[in-house]
Amino acid sequence: MHNAMLGLFNLGGVEIILLLSQLLVFGAGVLGFVLLIVWLVNRVAKPSAAAPPVHPPVVPPPPPSRTCPRCGLPLPVGAPEGLCPRCVMAAGLAAPTDAGEFGAHGRKAFQPPPSAADIAKHFPQLEILECLGRGGMGVVYKARQPKLNRLVALKILAPEKGADPKFAERFLREAQSLARLNHPNIVTVHDFGEADGLYYLLMEYVDGATLRQLLHSRKIAPEEALQIVPRICDALQFAHEQGIVHRDIKPENVLLDRQGRVKIADFGIAKLVGADSLQPVLTEEQAVIGTPHYMAPEQVEKPQLVDHRADIYSLGVVFYEMLTGELPLGKFEPPSKKVQVDVRLDEVVLRALEKEPARRYQHASQVKTDLETIAATPTPSPASG
Amino acid sequence: MAACFVTTHWSAVLSAGRSDTTRARGALEQLCRNYWQPLYAYVRRAGYSREEAEDLTQEFFARLLAQNIVARADPARGRFRSFLLASLKHFLANEWSKAHARKRGGGAQLLPLEFDTAETRCAQPVAPGDSPDRAFDRQWALALLEVVLGRLRQDYRSAGREPLFLGLKETLSGARPEIPYRDLAARLGLSEGAVKVAAHRLRRRYREFLREEVAHTVAAPDEVERELSQLFAALSA
Repeated sequence: MHNAMLGLFNLGGVEIILLLSQLLVFGAGVLGFVLLIVWLVNRVAKPSAAAPPVHPPVVPPPPPSRTCPRCGLPLPVGAPEGLCPRCVMAAGLAAPTDAGEFGAHGRKAFQPPPSAADIAKHFPQLEILECLGRGGMGVVYKARQPKLNRLVALKILAPEKGADPKFAERFLREAQSLARLNHPNIVTVHDFGEADGLYYLLMEYVDGATLRQLLHSRKIAPEEALQIVPRICDALQFAHEQGIVHRDIKPENVLLDRQGRVKIADFGIAKLVGADSLQPVLTEEQAVIGTPHYMAPEQVEKPQLVDHRADIYSLGVVFYEMLTGELPLGKFEPPSKKVQVDVRLDEVVLRALEKEPARRYQHASQVKTDLETIAATPTPSPASG
Repeated sequence: MAACFVTTHWSAVLSAGRSDTTRARGALEQLCRNYWQPLYAYVRRAGYSREEAEDLTQEFFARLLAQNIVARADPARGRFRSFLLASLKHFLANEWSKAHARKRGGGAQLLPLEFDTAETRCAQPVAPGDSPDRAFDRQWALALLEVVLGRLRQDYRSAGREPLFLGLKETLSGARPEIPYRDLAARLGLSEGAVKVAAHRLRRRYREFLREEVAHTVAAPDEVERELSQLFAALSA
């Protein structure tokens, strides 16, 4: 059979070589032809490759994106006032006590607080409901104690403190004295401790608003101020008698619940976290420089010599702000010259705001007594201005 | 003492409920003027073309303002932001809305919306995992800042102190001002100390306005801080 096939083609060696090379050339030609067809088909299928592309309407390409030098996020196009929205929002979130002008070395200074879920891991005995916000001292969460079936506020003190061993000791001492403050006008501390490096306070939950929020939303009538201040006096007098100075009285720390009850929060915490003086406390994250406006002059100049009378000064500032809507800065006018209030209130406010502690009211109860006297006796003549 | 502390736009709308008082309507309209951009961003991110998004946004607001959709708002839910997003989703899911979106100019009362700006704003490169919901919250935060900073600037302008605002506005993001305090002081005819105090006051005023504006969109004052935290988180994503 072999022989038969060969015989059929009748080929010699040279003929075989010739035949093979012809086949090769022919194959190359077919391949080339196929490639040509493919190329042509492609051209037909994408005619627009030849035509100029149609531009989308109007919108010009965004300018090369800049990044914020502070937080590193890219600046969005059309950022309000050309500022980094994240940093502006962060500055808005930070309480005055920790909104230092520039973060230390301009580093990333603001972080959102840990979520409720993050915190819940460390407190299995509580049901963490939500984050209520952050203040100068730390972050507060609304929580529930299932066994007692009551709502509580869980305050986690500035987490970066956890690393400082001296802090632990101070915290224990302070928390014990705070726990003694059992008064209707003071936010009760139920418990305190340390959990996984986080220092916390478990406090009464107050369902309401702060005096700061009230000041923002509307003007406070003098009559309302005269109802709120005596309650603050009660709280201060009680704490002072226990030997505890608040050190950070300001509208953010005065809570008003839905029934209109007044409760002072954060007694003694300022000292604990070092935010009770102007000494900058440099943490890794931020420089904590307190707003001096509510601080007594002696608290600004000699913080270690401060006594309970510093709270009375702060009360004076808050009172002034409630009456006039402004802070008593520099050469300020007495309240009756700014708003329609009893001129006798001027004396009370000014005496609370005396720069010399010795010239100030010596006891919060004295402030209350004077206010009650004024409220009880009719106004001698209408206030001027 | 009265337990209700705050009269805000959204709480006015909620308390008006079924009765369409003029004040509630005015309040709702103001809220819509301030916060329409996040809605537009959501619709675009959801895949609609620019033209479709414009028509749908206008149509949505026309219905919101004309009908009493708000009467069905659950007061317990509290926030205007969540209400608006939920209503928008419902609106978009409705086949009829999509098919019959009124053409611009053909309908009754339309809000004067600058779509070009909104389009530029949301025509950013889409990050992976950026859902329409996230885009909505982020744009809401931007809209809020725009309203607040606008008010702040106007506040300074009406006091004849706009140059001060412009010179110090960088400090609102915690940065140093572009021009050093000393130079700015010289330029404005103030002492350097006065300029620093002014910066502090500007920041304080900004924080006041920020909280006031957020208060307009929530139902109770204790929700303000929470809303701020959430909006900050939206900007950080």
